[in-house]
Amino acid sequence: MKGRLTAYAGYQLRDYFATRALPTLVASGLVAWALAAARGMTLSDLDPTGGIDARDRVQQTFELLLATFGFVAGAVAAHGVVSHHRMRGYDRLVFSRPVSPVRYYTQGFVLAGIGAVVLGSVGAEVYAVAVHPVWLPGVAGYVALAWLLVGGLAFLLSTLTAFYLPILALVLAADLTLDHFTGALAAAGAGRVVTAIQVLLPPAHVLVSLRGAFARGLPIDPLAVGWPAGFGAACIIVAMVLLWRRPFRS
Amino acid sequence: MSTASDAGPAGAGGAAAGAVIELSHVSKTFESRSVSPVRALDDVSFRVAAGEVAGISGPAGAGKSTLLAIAAGHLRPSSGSVRIDGSEPRRFVEREGIAYLPQPVALPGGWRVSDALTRLAVLSGVRPTYTKHRVEAAMRELGLYDDRRRRVRSLKGDARLRLGLAQAIVADRRVIMLDEPLEGMSAGSLDRLRELIVRLRAFDRAILIASRDTAELQRVTDRVTLIERGRTRRPGAPRRATPADVEGVFHITLHQGGEHVLAVFPNAISLGRSTYAVRVTGFAALNRGLRDLLERGALLASVTPAHAAVDANSLTLNEVGM
Repeated sequence: MKGRLTAYAGYQLRDYFATRALPTLVASGLVAWALAAARGMTLSDLDPTGGIDARDRVQQTFELLLATFGFVAGAVAAHGVVSHHRMRGYDRLVFSRPVSPVRYYTQGFVLAGIGAVVLGSVGAEVYAVAVHPVWLPGVAGYVALAWLLVGGLAFLLSTLTAFYLPILALVLAADLTLDHFTGALAAAGAGRVVTAIQVLLPPAHVLVSLRGAFARGLPIDPLAVGWPAGFGAACIIVAMVLLWRRPFRS
Repeated sequence: MSTASDAGPAGAGGAAAGAVIELSHVSKTFESRSVSPVRALDDVSFRVAAGEVAGISGPAGAGKSTLLAIAAGHLRPSSGSVRIDGSEPRRFVEREGIAYLPQPVALPGGWRVSDALTRLAVLSGVRPTYTKHRVEAAMRELGLYDDRRRRVRSLKGDARLRLGLAQAIVADRRVIMLDEPLEGMSAGSLDRLRELIVRLRAFDRAILIASRDTAELQRVTDRVTLIERGRTRRPGAPRRATPADVEGVFHITLHQGGEHVLAVFPNAISLGRSTYAVRVTGFAALNRGLRDLLERGALLASVTPAHAAVDANSLTLNEVGM
């Protein structure tokens, strides 16, 4: 008698919306608000009635929201899937059943990604009705890409350590910081070193740079998408191998 | 070598079949960077045969939970081999599943009791048409039906333990492992557990129970193996009653013919579910009574010693410092 994991998918999706949707929205809102405040943005930046400049400001505000949501939703999508599950000891009850840990966790992670895309799309639709029209397929695509990169890395880290969230924040921040100083470091003759490090780090800066193209429905460079997508996919595959070899905490 | 595999006959379950759960020379050492390694199990060999209810007892930290976790495939042994029905534990569990009561019973606090059991029944592979029935039956059997809408976080102690037992029995399994099912259990729940174990006993089923409560474990199992500081110790005597016992209580489960029990065993007490506790003076009296029952048309499902030999074993357990 095999476990009915496909039938269990409904519960996993329900769990995402019941326990992680609201924290995702709240955390995204808080981070976006902090970033907006740091950039001197105000509520008037959400008013599109002031001509082309106003519309551009509204678009930039939306892109900030989208990028923030993508990162937060990606990280939260992996939260609770492996590490939390193990720390709380739920794994012993679940995996005494005829269920593969690899499939159970991967299914939970994929469904959380679907939940994140749905949540992002609904949020974008609300924004479109309340503030300014947005290109919904672009929003869904961007959130999916963010889930693949940020979520994939979080998924991998959560199979390795209980402290995956601080580590995730650290490596993403390291990549964004390095990208910020790339020009200066290249001028100082450290261009090759920077490039080598950036290849190892998750390409968060690429993800950030793609937000405009996705949000505005502009043509997207497949190579630019391929880097974060490939990095995230590789993380997920490595995570699955680790789960297969080491399904439990110890 | 520390072994319990040769600690006497398989027990009252009469396990003629081979071992279902088999640990051979298993050791487990927990490594840590901050503290020195802890050897939780040291060259333990242990088997549970089909039809047998085996107990493992010892003080806190003796290695009981580690042994069960290794047998269930949740932990890998540092050395030695573990087999369930001839397969590596994880392979067996992913193929057939086991009924497992972990210690503690950890489930998300926001789930409601019936919802938690339904989810776990789905993961157990219980068919959709039977799921509701199985969940309700498990709740009723463990006295949880009135609590079915309560959140898991609101269940404490005894009720949480009964939920753990309910999730273990929500699907039929050939291998059952219960870790500390007696810990903090009320008298009423203990009766339920005894009845449950009687009901679960089957010719093809191996049941392994770990508990600190050696005396109670002796009541509900065929034999108890002692474990202390990661090493099993040969029990003083197998759980099986001996002709030297002057008196013993047996649980008799009948498939049919319950109406004849009082005629044969006037002091019998019904435990429910066609199971009766009978007090007899020696094996000869027991067998006479059973023969009489069979001649009257009763069909016997199982006979389990309930109190027999407890005193003799307790004496031996005291001798080994338990």
